[in-house]
Amino acid sequence: MRESRLMLIQYVTAAAAVVLVALHLLLQGVLVPYETAISFGTVLASYRSIFSILFLEVLLVVVLVHGFNGVRIILQELRQTLAWGRWVDLGTVLAIVISVGYGTRTILLAVLVGPSA
Amino acid sequence: MAAERIAENKRGVLGWINPHNCNAERWAYTFQRITGVAVLLYVLGHLGDTSFFVGGPIGAGPSESSWAFISGIVENSFGHLILVMVVLVVTFHGINGVRLILAEFGVIFRKPSAIEYPYRPKGLGVGQKAMFVGAIALAVIAALMAWWILFEGPL
Repeated sequence: MRESRLMLIQYVTAAAAVVLVALHLLLQGVLVPYETAISFGTVLASYRSIFSILFLEVLLVVVLVHGFNGVRIILQELRQTLAWGRWVDLGTVLAIVISVGYGTRTILLAVLVGPSA
Repeated sequence: MAAERIAENKRGVLGWINPHNCNAERWAYTFQRITGVAVLLYVLGHLGDTSFFVGGPIGAGPSESSWAFISGIVENSFGHLILVMVVLVVTFHGINGVRLILAEFGVIFRKPSAIEYPYRPKGLGVGQKAMFVGAIALAVIAALMAWWILFEGPL
């Protein structure tokens, strides 16, 4: 993918992350008291709401794509060889896939499986 | 030759924190990168601790005991201090990032002009300086709010 397009992705995810992270922080202590927000019942209830599930999944993807693409940009600046660039790009894609996959697994298990003690 | 095409950044990461000839814009760049890496590390840790809601890496579904286990590890004064620091760097990174996006698209960038003595950098105009200072101020305010919520109770 062209570098200009990757930078555009970086800016779009940044703008989205500002809104989503601000909302996430507000829900964890300001709009909902912190002790309530982190209680098992409240977290479980959030995984029963389609809006909350979509919000968490979009937040997960946006933040991880932005974060790992940011690290890619830093690493690309340290060395400018073709091989280094390709390894960094490959590592970035793998890191995004693995981390988004792990986070999505948490969301799916919380949504699809009933609670246990 | 391939070796001739290699143009390594000789200063590397150490170049970010070299205070020689650094202006406010350079420090904003340095802080943006350091806070970005810090936030990513926290997010990865947060992915790990929230996964304990479903029993951790090998869990199979929502587990109250697993959630109580991880809460017992992270919900203490040290964990809350980490969260306050996270709010500080996330707020700075977000607002300074908006400044960078606006500058990238030329919204708050000063018009170029003839180079005149004493050769002050033209990049940081009033709008950008205000946003950089505002990012620091709002980050401190947000961190103080987080401190209050985590150590004193609801706002």
